[in-house]
Amino acid sequence: MLAARLSVPQALSYAALCLLLLCVASLLLGAGDIGILPSLQALLGGSDDDARFIVFELRWVRTELALLVGLALGAAGVLLQAVTRNPLAEPGLLGVSAGASFAVVLAINLGASAASMHLGVAMLGALVGCVLVLLVTRMRGVGDDPVRLVLAGAAFSGILGALSSLLLLWDQRTADEMRFWVIGALAGRPLDTLDWSLPGLIGGLLVALLVVHPLAALALGERVASGLGHHPQLTRLGTLLAVAILVGTATAAAGPIAFIGLIVPYIARRLVGSDIRRTLGLSMLLGPCVLLLADVISRLLVRPYELPVGVVTAFVGAPILIAVVRNHRLPTL
Amino acid sequence: MNISSSRPLLAPAGHYLLRLGGYSLLLHRRSMIVALFLSLLLVAVTTWILAAGDDTLTPSKALQAAFGQGEALQVFLIQELRLPRLIAGLLSGAALGAAGCLLQTLARNRLATPGVIGIDNGATAFAVASIVAVPTSLAPSALALSGAATAAVLTFALAAGGGARGYRFIVVGIAIGALFGALTNLMLARSDMDAANAAYPWTVGSLNARPADSVLLLGIGLAVGLPLAKLLVNALSLMRFSDNVAIGLGVHLQRMRLLTLALCVWLTALAVAVVGPVGLIALAAPEMARHLGNRHGVPVLNAALSGALMMILADWLGRTLLAPIEIPVGIIAAVVGGPYLLWILLRQAPRSST
Repeated sequence: MLAARLSVPQALSYAALCLLLLCVASLLLGAGDIGILPSLQALLGGSDDDARFIVFELRWVRTELALLVGLALGAAGVLLQAVTRNPLAEPGLLGVSAGASFAVVLAINLGASAASMHLGVAMLGALVGCVLVLLVTRMRGVGDDPVRLVLAGAAFSGILGALSSLLLLWDQRTADEMRFWVIGALAGRPLDTLDWSLPGLIGGLLVALLVVHPLAALALGERVASGLGHHPQLTRLGTLLAVAILVGTATAAAGPIAFIGLIVPYIARRLVGSDIRRTLGLSMLLGPCVLLLADVISRLLVRPYELPVGVVTAFVGAPILIAVVRNHRLPTL
Repeated sequence: MNISSSRPLLAPAGHYLLRLGGYSLLLHRRSMIVALFLSLLLVAVTTWILAAGDDTLTPSKALQAAFGQGEALQVFLIQELRLPRLIAGLLSGAALGAAGCLLQTLARNRLATPGVIGIDNGATAFAVASIVAVPTSLAPSALALSGAATAAVLTFALAAGGGARGYRFIVVGIAIGALFGALTNLMLARSDMDAANAAYPWTVGSLNARPADSVLLLGIGLAVGLPLAKLLVNALSLMRFSDNVAIGLGVHLQRMRLLTLALCVWLTALAVAVVGPVGLIALAAPEMARHLGNRHGVPVLNAALSGALMMILADWLGRTLLAPIEIPVGIIAAVVGGPYLLWILLRQAPRSST
């Protein structure tokens, strides 16, 4: 078990400070030809209309979206890792995000286009993905083997990815609309994305709050949890529901973004130990931090172009995945 | 001392022993029958695919046209349009099947195929780099080779400690694959439209209009690689046991591993330079070969035959399923092979993760 290196209030305040700095950076930096200084002036109330538009209309929305999606994915990662007792479990790696994005692609292909419907479809897809993950972990031998679960998730995501490409080939008409759901990015989302994804996030977090104490008890073992008056099966279902709502919301808002749910709980456990109540709290701050950082990098790396943010998270996430696997004693959850 | 080849007692049960001068060759009877069966099937399917299409010919006419006989239009159709694609498919399928078989044996894990451990993605990333950065005609093959080697070395180096086997090795490979996949996306995102379009076929496996020089190089690579693979087979089949047993039986482990890995990278890279990442063929072909033939051996040649068969069938399926839309063979392989991968994964008996 990793020893806690920071006290919880310390870790939380550092994370909050980071988040604040990254938010400012996200508002000031971008791929366009508005420099830092005009951006800063616009932020402080300057009157350059171009700069004001870019900072307050484009970057502001994008920053809010990153906060929301990062929070959802970070929390979902912690919950999924706790319920599968697997430090590698991550919505992006296990096919939950792939399920959500495939559901959306399918819905668009069948003729749906209302943005609010995407949310429901994405949640449903994420839920199906979650249930499949749960079924796999219940199978003999697989549940005890963290690495094999990841492999199954990779295979599952691969199939769904290929099916999405197939639909894309089938229907060139909506190919442009779909491309977004296959890659995942924070840029250029419609303004009302925030309006409908905020309730999803709040709903998911409420369910998460309900299950976090039973989940902590479940970490002590099924018998202990039952003895303390919790219902393990009910706890698992509730957790998966929370994960499905959170991942569905995040995917509907930004497309599939892998590795956030792996990176964030990993850092959180390093900082404050593996108690779910602490890691969940810290992850809610760290998730937006990591996603904002990745997004800012994605804007600056190939100027004047922008990268899909998922590319950057893969560059950060893959080394962490290797680090977790190389760690001989995989931390038990 | 000269022992005549008519002494059946020298050969183990179920094997033939051939002797020619000082050399001897031990052949597994069932594997041979399977190889024969697969070859016949391959010839039949190849002929049938040559003949079928928008302009259907009889099989005999198609074969004649393939050798330059018959109407000029038909000869053009077969020799210029259908045959190159078929040859590209056959060669790349054979290379992937053999490479998968070698790597599975080396890692002692049926899931360790070039696609799963990231070699495909490494080759793809470097091939895309060659299109985007240095657009010369032979560059994709050469760069695919260096990309595949880079990915393989990274995976092996980073998984060290856990050894070249078990799931840990595979997950490190998945991570390396994700890295190279991201690299490919990065290059596609920053290059201009024309270059990105030229590089796109390398990111989804497809047999459409493959470059002739890559196919030629793959042919040469196979001609060198397959006999070499066959030579490695005996030592490899000993390496299926524990390291200590293999050393005791006189296998030079380190050299053998390096040689096998190099051969696997060589075959995979050349195949990827032709078709792009169609990784699941490398998973399924050895499986089919093992299923049909000797369960305990290392069926490299049969895996190559099965791979060739699967590749051309998948390509044919992709061309006809939604015609006139052509589905790239990589997507067909993923949709058909993915569930199969899951099935193998979940069916296997539990074992430790390190």
